[in-house]
Amino acid sequence: MVETKELLADPAIVEKIVGGDKEAFALLVERYQKGLINFIYHMVGHYEEAVELTQDVFIKVYVNIATYDKNFKFSTWLYRIASNCTIDHLRRRDPMAASLDERDEDDNLCIEPASHDLGPHDLLEQKQLEKEIVKSISELSPLQRELIVLRHIHYRSYEEIAKITSLPIGTVKNRIFRARKQLMERLRDKR
Amino acid sequence: MDNLREDAMRCKKVLELLSRFIENDFADEESAEIKAHIDKCEGCRKEYEAMKSLLDRLETIPLVCVPLSFKDAVMKHLPEKKDEDK
Repeated sequence: MVETKELLADPAIVEKIVGGDKEAFALLVERYQKGLINFIYHMVGHYEEAVELTQDVFIKVYVNIATYDKNFKFSTWLYRIASNCTIDHLRRRDPMAASLDERDEDDNLCIEPASHDLGPHDLLEQKQLEKEIVKSISELSPLQRELIVLRHIHYRSYEEIAKITSLPIGTVKNRIFRARKQLMERLRDKR
Repeated sequence: MDNLREDAMRCKKVLELLSRFIENDFADEESAEIKAHIDKCEGCRKEYEAMKSLLDRLETIPLVCVPLSFKDAVMKHLPEKKDEDK
């Protein structure tokens, strides 16, 4: 029987990699590269840095693949590693700063085209607001930023965020509610 | 005066709870109380709408692209596993 590797579930792919099938790792990279680069990009604020860090995360995942516990969702384990690497990276990069002041300008970025039917004026307004939101997110503390990004840009459940960040679910909720309030206040200050 | 103070206290409490209310994180009775307040208080209603609008906007933030060669670069940098790891 011909096996279609693309259809394999994550734990089955992991089993292949642990068994020595190095090429099977490419399937996991394909599956998670977009989500992970975007998660890390919204955390660090620099595209090139995010790409490099995402590459490091995948290598770390590969090296530690045998420690993956199948009782957990693979994506939760992956994001947990990414979260730890990113927070460590931010601490090393700028131990004192809670915010990211030098984010990439939109012009330098490869942004996925959004489907919209707005006129030029509304489009400009929308882009401006998006920029302000992204800037306001970057001004949150790294931990608050992580929670907002996971919840609202990556649509993770509270349960999954709790597992990724190793925080109790009640703490995750409270911190997200507080971070949203701060975000709204920061946005109001910019308007 | 007492009524004014009571209203201000209620607004303060409702504003603290808005985020949870939007997520339906309350029991029916509590949720109905907050909704009733939002319906009649213009200030809190505006805050509620602003918070909802922010959450909607967050979900439309554009995503960055993956570099074309990204997967190949990762695969090229994977270390060789030692036999005992297998």
